[in-house]
Amino acid sequence: MLADQFEPGTFVDAFRFIGHNAGFLLQKSGEHLELSLTALGIALLLSLPLGLWLGHRHRGLFFAVSVSNVGRALPSLVLIAVGLTIFGIGFWNNTAALVVLAVPPILTNAYFAIDGVDRDVVEAARGMGLGELQVLWRVELPLGLPLVIAGIRIAVIFVIATATIAAIAGGGGLGEIIVDQPSYGLSGVVAASLCVSALAFLAALLLSLLLRQMSRRPGPIP
Amino acid sequence: MTPALASGGGPVIPNFGQGSSCEIHNGWFCTDWVRAHWGDTLQPALVQHVELAAIAVAIGFVLASALAFAGFRFRLLDPPIGFFADFLYTIPSLALFQLLVPLTGLTVTTVEIALVSYTLLILYRNMIEGLRGVPPDALEAARGSGFTRLQTLVHVELPLALPAVIAGLRIATVSTISIATVAAFVIPEGLGRPIFVALEQEVFKTEILTAGGLAVLLALSADAVLVLAQRALTPWSRLERRA
Amino acid sequence: MIRKHTRRAAKAVFAISLGVAIVLGGTATAAPKKTAAAPTIVVGTKNFTEEYILGQLYKQALEGAGFKVSYKESIGSSELIDTAITSGKINFYPEYTGVIVQDLAKKKSPSSAAATFAAAKKFEETRGLTLLNATPFYDTDSFGMLTSTAKKLGVKTIADMKKVKSFSFAGYPECKTRITCLLGLKQVYGLTQVQFVPLASISVYTLLDQGKITAGDVFSTDPQLAGTKYTILVDTNHIFGFQNVAPVVSQKLLSAAGPKFAQIVNAVSAKLTLQAMIAMNKAVAIDKATPAAVAAGFLKANNLK
Repeated sequence: MLADQFEPGTFVDAFRFIGHNAGFLLQKSGEHLELSLTALGIALLLSLPLGLWLGHRHRGLFFAVSVSNVGRALPSLVLIAVGLTIFGIGFWNNTAALVVLAVPPILTNAYFAIDGVDRDVVEAARGMGLGELQVLWRVELPLGLPLVIAGIRIAVIFVIATATIAAIAGGGGLGEIIVDQPSYGLSGVVAASLCVSALAFLAALLLSLLLRQMSRRPGPIP
Repeated sequence: MTPALASGGGPVIPNFGQGSSCEIHNGWFCTDWVRAHWGDTLQPALVQHVELAAIAVAIGFVLASALAFAGFRFRLLDPPIGFFADFLYTIPSLALFQLLVPLTGLTVTTVEIALVSYTLLILYRNMIEGLRGVPPDALEAARGSGFTRLQTLVHVELPLALPAVIAGLRIATVSTISIATVAAFVIPEGLGRPIFVALEQEVFKTEILTAGGLAVLLALSADAVLVLAQRALTPWSRLERRA
Repeated sequence: MIRKHTRRAAKAVFAISLGVAIVLGGTATAAPKKTAAAPTIVVGTKNFTEEYILGQLYKQALEGAGFKVSYKESIGSSELIDTAITSGKINFYPEYTGVIVQDLAKKKSPSSAAATFAAAKKFEETRGLTLLNATPFYDTDSFGMLTSTAKKLGVKTIADMKKVKSFSFAGYPECKTRITCLLGLKQVYGLTQVQFVPLASISVYTLLDQGKITAGDVFSTDPQLAGTKYTILVDTNHIFGFQNVAPVVSQKLLSAAGPKFAQIVNAVSAKLTLQAMIAMNKAVAIDKATPAAVAAGFLKANNLK
């Protein structure tokens, strides 16, 4: 339970930990997902429509690029700590921090995805009499979907991985185990970390499947 | 009932002075605290942070270059390296630091190994993409001009891969500065340390905002410097954008 | 076409960064391992304010006397730092005598501070370590809560908590397995209805203030306890033990460092009364001074530097 020695045995111990504590890990994974998905949902609501619309109007390049640059420069620990100063311990301090982290990749990618669609295709669509929103929804979005989903994928992995630090500020989830080596031992830390990686991979996989599914919709001929 | 009380009277307890009203009541930004503790807390943390990040990026750059050449030359190597890199990135930094502690102790080495790992992934991806993105026409031209394999590499492929490399360097540098804040979880160094101390001292706002602000400013400055370097080293990309 | 200066620039970038990396790597690995005649005192501390102050006090006093001191702050809990000293990574750290006896040696608490010190010393001496003199001040874990909560629940002693249906108790992670903490509450007081909330980086007082917990593990020398906002319940079963501080040192260091070493350390320890310690804790925790500055001020005022 103290400074365990790190050897191949640690991984065996980690799997043993998973075996013995499956229920506990599942509960913590649930908490972890709850926090992550809430933050991602809010981030999507805030930034996806904005990014898509700005890209459609080809406005706000500087804004999109700046959001990306500044967003990358915000350390997650700082956001969590600042969240704590503003909201106190509770639901919002960690959720707000994770939302701030998730917005830049979603918004920037959405912008460039739509902005980069071949203008001739867009013009053709307009020529056919489609309204602005229809152009965006039926022409630009399907063509720009891979990049949009890529941005969401980045945000998802980022949020799931960063939600572990939220445990420092009472966020619960798998991070609770990872910050608490004295209680759970190194095997516990490894086990919880593997769970985080698994969650991130699963989420990314789901998004790839979603992309493939959505790409099968009848869309414009490229 | 106190064992081994040595001779002499009680101690002299000096007047340590009182904190300002802002400090005691945890105001949002106490300038007196910042002024008083710039030298003993903030500046050392900033310097440590710069060192941690600089070493990690430098070593990461060298290693990534080697790996990128390997993955570029021997295509079979790319998928495993790439997959390993992706997997590493999903490991939360907090966990990676703790995993390394039994190996390399509570030292800067532990932190550096973790930081270098994260830097590697970003740089590797970008370097490989950069090398692969060299237009075939340029390679044709080089071959036509009689360049050897090595000459092609040095005079054509590397310069054309440069934009991607510097883009990767920008991202890697900013990410490293960001992750290095978490290093304070294992060793008391870097700008994360004042943040952790402040969290324990009943969420002392000024310290969190100052140290956090410094970390953000550091990252933005590094980014700006690299943008300038990018413009200086790849002037043709600016022409492309104008076209 | 590729301009000549860009080619050179690209080569320069690679060359410079390679050079930088090599130089940095070289200086890092070339850090000399000090095998000087005088031993280096490697002082370690645990991970809370009082330990930072104690660490600085001993470090600066020893440096002032001409010793070479290496400082490793905030290593972790007793369990972790104990591993550090037994494995030779450090050779000096301030520890609480009761923690040594009850939590490290897992023995029953003796019935006096002097007996606790003796038992702790005997235990450490079986492991190649020993204790220097203990401080006059003691700092025990305590069962703390908001005074308003205590009034509302109508509790004055820890045993009174038995009548509370369920309550949350926050503490450092190691508190869970310590008889001087949660384990004692459960086993000695029979408070099986307690829900433990492990602290990661936030102080107990923050959680108490924001109403997130009923009670928490506080330290008896915390400056926050000076006012009336918080209350500690009486430990009638004395689970928190006797907790004077005594520096744990490796026997090898003690013999190698000469008599002046123990003299200096003991002189510092002798001056650390309850009043002094609380004043220093207050200066750091409330008035936001740094442990180093507070230690320096105290040592200077007492001619120990």
